[in-house]
Amino acid sequence: MRETWVVGAASNRYGKLAETAREAATRVALQAIEDAGIEPKAIGHTFVANCFGLTEHQGHLGPLINNGLGIPEVPSVTVESACSSSSAALHEAFVHVAGGFADAALVVGVERLGHLDTMSATGYFAYATDHPFEARSGATFPGLYATLANAYRTRYPTTPEMFGAVAVKNHANAARNPHAHFQKEITMETYLASPIVASPLRLYDCCPFSDGAAAVVVAARETIGTPRNEPLVVRASARAGAVTALQDRSELTSLPSTRRAAELAFRQAKLEPKAIDFVEVHDCFTIAEVLALEDLGFFPRGTAAREGLEGTTARDGRLPVNPSGGLKAKGHPVGATGAGQVVEVFEQVNGRAGGREVPRTGTALTHNVGATGGSCSVHIFGRR
Amino acid sequence: MTGDAPMAAHSIAEFVQGYENGRTLRGFRCRACGTRTATWGLACSKCGARELEEAELSESGLIVAGTLVAVPSEEFVNEVPYAYVLVELDGGGRVSGWIPGASREEEIAPGTRVRFRPSYKSGVQFEREGTGG
Repeated sequence: MRETWVVGAASNRYGKLAETAREAATRVALQAIEDAGIEPKAIGHTFVANCFGLTEHQGHLGPLINNGLGIPEVPSVTVESACSSSSAALHEAFVHVAGGFADAALVVGVERLGHLDTMSATGYFAYATDHPFEARSGATFPGLYATLANAYRTRYPTTPEMFGAVAVKNHANAARNPHAHFQKEITMETYLASPIVASPLRLYDCCPFSDGAAAVVVAARETIGTPRNEPLVVRASARAGAVTALQDRSELTSLPSTRRAAELAFRQAKLEPKAIDFVEVHDCFTIAEVLALEDLGFFPRGTAAREGLEGTTARDGRLPVNPSGGLKAKGHPVGATGAGQVVEVFEQVNGRAGGREVPRTGTALTHNVGATGGSCSVHIFGRR
Repeated sequence: MTGDAPMAAHSIAEFVQGYENGRTLRGFRCRACGTRTATWGLACSKCGARELEEAELSESGLIVAGTLVAVPSEEFVNEVPYAYVLVELDGGGRVSGWIPGASREEEIAPGTRVRFRPSYKSGVQFEREGTGG
């Protein structure tokens, strides 16, 4: 396997896009390619991540993006893995580059849902559940994660403030991130006063429906002379699956696909969780951040919610978690989210995270979940 | 390719027709490991054996976990308040369902006994035993 680097990264501001997904993706892709200091024709394969493009009456985005970049002859494919689509696309790019099938690959994730109202967006999201066995019986995405949250509360003593601390922290981080959907802090009082979406989850436990695009360029070390930026060395690129429907899970206080992907990733990287300096984890709901931190092995079972309340996961804490603001506050443009997490790592490493820097940037981990854990990606990045 | 295309003991449409018209919860039982499930498949999601047989699931069981949904999807917009619950059925196997009208967390506490309620509406419906609703 060839050593593979992330050499360029770009994102737009998450929120509402005034242009189509195609336009946003092409623009951000070109920014990432320029950031890498390479020419578009150096791209050997484009991996697009998108989930809801058909709501814009547009499929087959890959060739359209490549056309717009002036490289129509380059092969492309769209990867769909629900909320983990662009980390799945990154994994495919890694496999191509590390395996010698491409010297450089473009990963571009994009989503646009802003043209839909909340109810129809909730409906589209529900298509990523096991639809006939979950959504048809009234499950929504917040409802499924709320069910996990209630299982967690039943097993471990948990106060509302412990979930609230995740939201307050991630909003504070997003307030310093120009890419973020919500660039404002919230107080615990605001959190506690927000309406219930699906008990016990409140409005401020939930990520927003965001539009957005993010792109990264990966390349084989041996093909890059002097990199324009400090590259991220891909130490691990691992994915795992698990039974989708919650009704078939023996355990509800953990996501088995996270555990499996983490085990594979740490083995690939030959590292232990204590070697990680900061993480971007999949916090579509506050409970998801708590489960992720336990499943990834950073905290013992039943303790991550308390650690958050005590400040361990703040930017200046022992393990900074979601310095970008996370899905919770930076936003969750489904197909772009996983690539966006890597953009954050790239910006932290390259001193472009002004105002939200973490103290140590030697080794970072990104964790991206598809739906309620049917899919999961874990990537570990190091320095040269 | 040789042989017939693999078939499941019943289709997803037949599962839906089962609770809507036939008034039964159709499921599968794995002959190899004994796992029962409502979820459609050609092989057992626990052990991988391709030995799933038709199994009628019990109509009553206990709530494992659930939530009171305040913001529904479009199909459930006229059903709020309701609860979404995971139910462990008496003879084994879990199924997702909903309880119309549930509005307090006590109503869906883990261990609460519920019974399948045939209905013309979407999804598998449950009612709390002894409440008639």
